[in-house]
Amino acid sequence: MPEQFIAPSIDWFALSPYLVMVAGALGLLVVGALTPRWPRGLYSLVSALTATSAGVLAVFIWNDVAEMGPGTLVGGALSHDAFAQFVTIAVCAATALVALVTDAEVRGTVLEGPEIHALLLTAATGAMVMGASNDLIVLFLGLETLSLALYVLAASERTAAGQEAGMKYFILGGLASAVFLYGIALLYGGARSTNLGEIVARFQSTVALERNDSLVLAGLALLIVGLGFKVAAAPFHVWSPDVYQGAPTHVTAFMASVGKAAAFAAMLRVLVIALPFHRDDWRPVIWVLAIASLVIGSTLAVVQTDVKRMLAFSSVSHAGFLLVGVEAAGHRAGEQISGDGLESVLVYLALYSVLVVGTFSIVAVVSRHAGGSTDISVFAGLGRRRPVLALALTILLLAQAGVPLTSGFVAKWGVIQSAVAERSYAIAIIAMVSAVIAAFLYLRIMVSAWLADPSEVEPEPVPAMTGVAIALAAAVTLVVGVYPELLLGWTDAVSNFAR
Amino acid sequence: MELIVFVLASAMVLSGAIGVVLFRNPVHAALGLVLTLFGVAVHFVSMEAHFLAAVQVIVYAGAIVVLFLFVIMLLGVDRAEDLTIEPLKLQRPVAIVLGAGVTVLVAGAVVRGADTLGRETNASAPGDSNIRALARSLYSDHVLAFELTSVLLIVAVAGTVVLTRRLKKSEG
Amino acid sequence: MHGAVDFPLLSMLVLVPAIGSLLVALSPRRRPEYAKLIATVTSVGVGAMSVWMLRAFDSHSGGFQFVSRHPWIESWGISWHLGVDGISLFLVVLTGVLFPLAIVGIDPHNDDPRRDKPYFAWLLLLEAGVMGSFVSLDLFLFFVCFEIVLVPMYFLIGGWGYEGRVGAATKFFLYTMLGSAFMLVSILATVFIASANGLGRITFDLVELAEGASFAASTGRWLFFGFAIAFAVKVPVFPLHTWLPDAHTQAPTAGSVVLAGVMLKLGTYGFLRFGLYLFPEAARWSRPLWLTLAVIGIIYGAIAATMQGDLKRLVAYSSVAHLGFIVLGTFAFTSQAITGSVMQMVNHGVSTGALFLMVGMIYERRHTRQIADLRGLQHVAPVFAAAFTVVMLSSIGVPGLNGFVGEYLILIGSFLTARWWVVVAATGVILAALYLLWAYQRVFHGEPDEENRSFPELRWKEGLVLLPFIGIIVFTGIYPKPMLERIEPAVHDLIEHVSDRTGYVEPQPAAISIDDEHGEGE
Repeated sequence: MPEQFIAPSIDWFALSPYLVMVAGALGLLVVGALTPRWPRGLYSLVSALTATSAGVLAVFIWNDVAEMGPGTLVGGALSHDAFAQFVTIAVCAATALVALVTDAEVRGTVLEGPEIHALLLTAATGAMVMGASNDLIVLFLGLETLSLALYVLAASERTAAGQEAGMKYFILGGLASAVFLYGIALLYGGARSTNLGEIVARFQSTVALERNDSLVLAGLALLIVGLGFKVAAAPFHVWSPDVYQGAPTHVTAFMASVGKAAAFAAMLRVLVIALPFHRDDWRPVIWVLAIASLVIGSTLAVVQTDVKRMLAFSSVSHAGFLLVGVEAAGHRAGEQISGDGLESVLVYLALYSVLVVGTFSIVAVVSRHAGGSTDISVFAGLGRRRPVLALALTILLLAQAGVPLTSGFVAKWGVIQSAVAERSYAIAIIAMVSAVIAAFLYLRIMVSAWLADPSEVEPEPVPAMTGVAIALAAAVTLVVGVYPELLLGWTDAVSNFAR
Repeated sequence: MELIVFVLASAMVLSGAIGVVLFRNPVHAALGLVLTLFGVAVHFVSMEAHFLAAVQVIVYAGAIVVLFLFVIMLLGVDRAEDLTIEPLKLQRPVAIVLGAGVTVLVAGAVVRGADTLGRETNASAPGDSNIRALARSLYSDHVLAFELTSVLLIVAVAGTVVLTRRLKKSEG
Repeated sequence: MHGAVDFPLLSMLVLVPAIGSLLVALSPRRRPEYAKLIATVTSVGVGAMSVWMLRAFDSHSGGFQFVSRHPWIESWGISWHLGVDGISLFLVVLTGVLFPLAIVGIDPHNDDPRRDKPYFAWLLLLEAGVMGSFVSLDLFLFFVCFEIVLVPMYFLIGGWGYEGRVGAATKFFLYTMLGSAFMLVSILATVFIASANGLGRITFDLVELAEGASFAASTGRWLFFGFAIAFAVKVPVFPLHTWLPDAHTQAPTAGSVVLAGVMLKLGTYGFLRFGLYLFPEAARWSRPLWLTLAVIGIIYGAIAATMQGDLKRLVAYSSVAHLGFIVLGTFAFTSQAITGSVMQMVNHGVSTGALFLMVGMIYERRHTRQIADLRGLQHVAPVFAAAFTVVMLSSIGVPGLNGFVGEYLILIGSFLTARWWVVVAATGVILAALYLLWAYQRVFHGEPDEENRSFPELRWKEGLVLLPFIGIIVFTGIYPKPMLERIEPAVHDLIEHVSDRTGYVEPQPAAISIDDEHGEGE
């Protein structure tokens, strides 16, 4: 039966960020394999440039979307909307920064070469796909691309802790992926499609009371578990301290920024965009996860003595903040006027990604000088040795604590604002109080950096490209903090998404 | 008939999977995996997805597990981790209880929602239309997913290089 | 009206110190003297501007003057909205005057002159934050400034304080931030609820919210408490005061002066500006609570001060007592009492600031603040002792000095509406005399022993720094009229606003008869 085969139309320009990233990765691998070792820093520069140009392309695509309205790509597999471009830009920015930092971290080791950068770029591609996916299968593939690359990156350093981190992340991550996939299967059983648009359409047309939703709900539960693992929300956060601590610092930075951003983008896609008609089912779950993450993250962060572990728990508490935004988005998901929850989560993600890369970059610089130790004592006296570096660290930590005039405050304000606008007062207050608890931890690092007696007098060398990355991160933190309108002015569009 | 096949195949899958976990000898574990993968192939056959069943047998059972065996043989089968150490005493029983609980819940949900399951019927057509439908689906709706798997392969390639390169250096 | 003034005075008051702080931070590390120079010029400039503002202020208007308003974060309805009225005017001037004195007059006590640079940078940033809090008429802007002052203060205490500095700084930071956490949620809730009830749009503008929105009683009370916790921590109101003695004791002298002089006023000012103005009903309703806590604070602070062996801790606890008076006056809801409170905010800033300054001088000379180690200083340093006496008497509230005017107005004004609380509070005045005079006696009287015999007399430079303090103390004490007539119109407007909203009638002294046992509204 020779039916006419109609190939889906492909808008190559709209796909260009992904193509650029993959081409960059392939180019690095192929050209890198055929040529002798490149001069120092060139691998990093190439991958940073690749990520930057993908980000710039996303800006242009954003303009197209703004003019022509959102739509879908490649037969409904990808969304063509401002949401996707926003995530792409955030991911690209964080990737470019991490690529710059990576150079100094791998130089002189066996890892120096194009492969690490190829992995970074492909992982970022996976993250971008997650943010743009309009189909659960595509979402899963993006997730796997990101996760697989992260497993390898986490284990890339030949230390016992690094190996343990990679192994732990791999096994638990694999389990989470399996759970997630099972969730997709059950949801497919209930909704008869994996396409987000079709899922929404299906539930839009049936009346909730007459529906047998048990498959959908079971699928939803499993999806939340899988995503909860990826975003490191308590109680699915248990892997994160060990992995954050054991993985090489630049990889931790990547995990905490790109990994988290992508997972939250996926969560928004699945919950807010695909399942708005089940919002009353998933919102309480998110509420519980948010509070657990906030409380557990900030209280356990305080008792740590290793900076990377501290930041791991603090990132759990940041996940809690983001979940507050997701919860807020859940109040009116799917309605015409849907509130600011979604927007606030995305803003938080973008700002937090930059912040956390900057923070971990400084940790990388300091710890490499101290022979790989990330104990809080190695930060002692940083203010004497490297006042500018210590100042940048202070800015970034204050931002993480949510002090005004930093981007962290803008992020927190946005999330709390959207929660309060939906009258979720309890969660807003718990979030703010746990931010205070978490502030203690940032103060501890600052105390060590400025006020403790130096354990080391030799100033640590700051590699040029790492320095650039740190400076960029600190500059973004301050500029957005003082004049948030720069960012907020164009995030309104993200809630006009396609499916 | 269908039910008998289902039960048998499922028994294969489960016993194989349990075997993978419990066998002390890695070679036996790999063989347990073969059993599991065969069981899945039988499921595919019973759902008339013949092409998938064939692929399952050829690629997984044929190629991948053979590769596993090669690796196991090359690295030596006598390396074993001591898994009897329990860092947290209660961990194992609690995990068993929670795991069983989740299984029961999911199973319950599936049973309750079984009648809402949609039956997609294009698999029932005879002959090679199955492959045709698969191809059609792969190259239209899921072409992006298909292409993404190639990105996944890039990760695999680069990852292999990263993870193995240092072995070479450390030896030489 | 001042309308003709085009110069963005208030914005300059906030931005100049901030820019100065940036300049100090960017000044070359090898030339620490530049840092002090920039800091001096900036702070003196700001002080001059604030004094000029005092001159240009229209004393007959209760409304906001020198208003400057620009859009800032339009997506969120936030604007850069500044203005002063009689309530904030003197606090702004006090800030403007106190900072140059602290910067010029007090050495940072560094062994390493290169560390002066961050010290001055933090002080200027602190000034910008405090100024911003006093002049902002936008809730977001206020919150930003209110929060941002924590950072420089944290580093000042932690970096340049005494032995227990890190703990004290951390305690200070976390305590205050915890209070602010509730305020933030409350601010947002206020804005959204206001937009739903009557206002119709999202705005953080204080005036628009206060005039345009009305809250249901129960809602307003919750919102008010969100704000009140932040302010109560900052004031601090008993039992939230425990951070204060530590922070004061461990802070460097300039830090203590600024902390006592202006930062604590952020709390009492906040109560007036945001508590009473935005939520008159809730403030009226919760009055007994605040009056009681204020009185407890007065008595507790006084008793605790009596028992301190450390001079700086003594002054710190006396602050708790003094601020109790201010809170008492605030929640008495009479023009007199509130005017007294505003006045007392300034007075306390001056006299306690001067006390901390002089305790700092003592410490610098003797390297101890223990009362037991000091004796007979009057004999070896009579001028120093005289200056200390004036400041101390002002703090006690002796007639003829500034402390008396404020405290008297508070007690007299509150007597109309909060009689029994005033009766108890008045004993606090006596206790204040007790603990300060007793401390004075132990430190300055008697025969100096070996160690105290070499206690140096007041130096010229120190005298010059103290002179403005003593000048203000005496001048306001003798001639408070110029100050009162600028404060009163604004206070009057505030009371009227409260009356409009709650139907509360301010009792006039004549209307009170002896047999009206219950006063009003109790």
